[in-house]
Amino acid sequence: MSSRDIVVIGLSHRTAPLALRERLAVPAAELGADLRGLLATGALDETVVISTCNRVEVYLAARDARAGAGAARAWLASRAVATSLEGHLYERAGGDAVQHAFRVASSLDSMVVGEPQILGQVKEAFGAAEAAGTTGTLLSRCFQRAFAVAKRVRSETAIAAGAVSVSSVACELAAKVFGRLEGRRVLLVGAGEMAEAAARHLHGAGARIVVANRSLERAEALAREHGGEARTLDQLQAELILADVVISSTASPGFVITREAMQAVVKARRHRLMLLVDIAVPRDIDPRVGDLENVFLYDVDHLESVSRGAADARRREAESAERIVHEEVAEFELWRKSLALTPTIVALRARFREIVVAELARTVPRLQGLGDEDRKTLDRMADAIVNKLLHQPLTALKKDAESEGSAQLLDAAQQLFALQPAEPADRSAADAPAEVEAAAPAIAEGKR
Amino acid sequence: MLVSATFLSASALYAVAGALYLVFAARGAERVARWATRCLGVAVAAHVAFVALDYATGGHHPTDDIRQMLATTSLLVAIGYLAALRRHRLAVLGAFITPVTLLLLLGAGFHRDVARVPEPVRSALLPVHIGVNILGVVAFALAFAVALAYVIQERLLRRKQLGGLFQRLPPLDELDSLGLRLVTIGFPLLTVGIVTGAVVAARLGVGEVGLTPSRLTAMLAWACFGAVLGLRALAGFRGRRAAIGTMLGFACAVLVLVGYVLRAEAS
Repeated sequence: MSSRDIVVIGLSHRTAPLALRERLAVPAAELGADLRGLLATGALDETVVISTCNRVEVYLAARDARAGAGAARAWLASRAVATSLEGHLYERAGGDAVQHAFRVASSLDSMVVGEPQILGQVKEAFGAAEAAGTTGTLLSRCFQRAFAVAKRVRSETAIAAGAVSVSSVACELAAKVFGRLEGRRVLLVGAGEMAEAAARHLHGAGARIVVANRSLERAEALAREHGGEARTLDQLQAELILADVVISSTASPGFVITREAMQAVVKARRHRLMLLVDIAVPRDIDPRVGDLENVFLYDVDHLESVSRGAADARRREAESAERIVHEEVAEFELWRKSLALTPTIVALRARFREIVVAELARTVPRLQGLGDEDRKTLDRMADAIVNKLLHQPLTALKKDAESEGSAQLLDAAQQLFALQPAEPADRSAADAPAEVEAAAPAIAEGKR
Repeated sequence: MLVSATFLSASALYAVAGALYLVFAARGAERVARWATRCLGVAVAAHVAFVALDYATGGHHPTDDIRQMLATTSLLVAIGYLAALRRHRLAVLGAFITPVTLLLLLGAGFHRDVARVPEPVRSALLPVHIGVNILGVVAFALAFAVALAYVIQERLLRRKQLGGLFQRLPPLDELDSLGLRLVTIGFPLLTVGIVTGAVVAARLGVGEVGLTPSRLTAMLAWACFGAVLGLRALAGFRGRRAAIGTMLGFACAVLVLVGYVLRAEAS
């Protein structure tokens, strides 16, 4: 018997442009039918499809890895319609596929390493496959472990620490100055793209948005998007007095907010804390504003150096995370190999035991004067013989299964003793380790 | 013997908790902060045992002698901090508060055979005077730690050093309002403490007459905290200046305490 393998085949932000990823992406409503369609090809036993804006991947478990991968390729090609996938697809099998799944779930393969959304997306993909009935022992175990590995990576490393985009740095800064942002007033001066991204973050955190812009029309459009209010630049001074956070991004060639104006503002707002973020180039806010008491000024260079620092720190943390993934993959592979070994051990023990029981049944009636105690002693002796005979072969089988490459002894044992082990896919993931443990005493007892 | 054992255990545990909080402030491992708080909890239990046993054996309560007063003040600072920890993310403050607690407790330890307050000085007002001063010092000690955290956090934010310590300290606004609340609690207590002290001294005609160094520092502490609250109400002053005012006020309050300790020593 040869063991089943896990294969992953797909494309991601590393190998394919956005346009191609968009074409291959599977809408959530169609995912169930597509998963069942893949299984219906008969080339694979289990499948999970992860489809996000950054990746489309088919994970599968199949007895014949090549046939399974072929079916997945054909399905992906059918989604790409006339576009060739040549050079965009990657394929990994066995331990490499498991490692890929663990890395994806742990956000080590993400565009922004450490971003938290991917784990939820992988969980959703697995949930959809479970609902469609296309998961089994191998992929269930693989994904459950992937979730556990992601959790471990998150708790044992600082991979998710620090904000890595200018807009998230601005949002994080506001949170470090004001704590909870619910009800805080955020003033957008100008309506550039970066300011919009920061506004999205801050609005998401519960802040109230006010947009002040030269063109009231544009200000109103942006304010509507974030449930805020619109003002013209004439009302800037009055709004500065009320605002907690100011994000400025106009195209003005000179300062829009001067030190003199801010001195009056600080007094009028009775020295309440204020965070000013200047993401305009050239700058909108006089840098000397940052010297005022209770006013904190950050420009785009400051924000970028903070986000670069966080990205560097994440890369350093990723090295520790890779070590965790490596450990977990090794453990998973041991389990996967034991999955193939266990039914053979069980069948081998059953075969030996069957012979001994049959011989005892034939011999015992011919022996005169045997009491119950004697029969029990004979039973025990028979068990001990089975265990001792099996000790060496089972130890060798286990060693063979744990070694790299194909388990040749396993096939040999099955042929030598004409074994027909039960199909591991029929069992639940939880049963398999229990059987390994049940088989273990046979190995231990054999030593006696 | 048992009294000494509880005293030493509490002191050692405070030292360990303080060291763990320092490690947390420097490294940021949440696990260390949790252990520090557990350690502080056990230290407080040992401290309670020390105060109770000391009272049982010596019969002195906090308004009776300087030793019990310092021990009780330090105990209340630790309890106040543990209570604040339940509502705010203030684990880093443990690095500032635990040493203050330990120093106050050690101060109590060095006054083993202190004399009780002399009979002529005792009056119905004396327990009120000492009681409100203890509570005031507790509020100011906590306000001091919060103010110190504010000053550090503000400096990091201004210098754009947004690394580990910055991430572990609470938001500036939260520190500012917590500091204000603590000073608002402490200030009336200090006022009552000063007034009752003056009344007791005047009624009994004890102690020196005029502006002694101890009275001067007490007035300075009062002026600092009064300025923090007054300028806030009048001109909205807050932030770093308020934090520095709070720290100065607490420094004066500590000087008053040191004055008491030295006088008790001399007597």
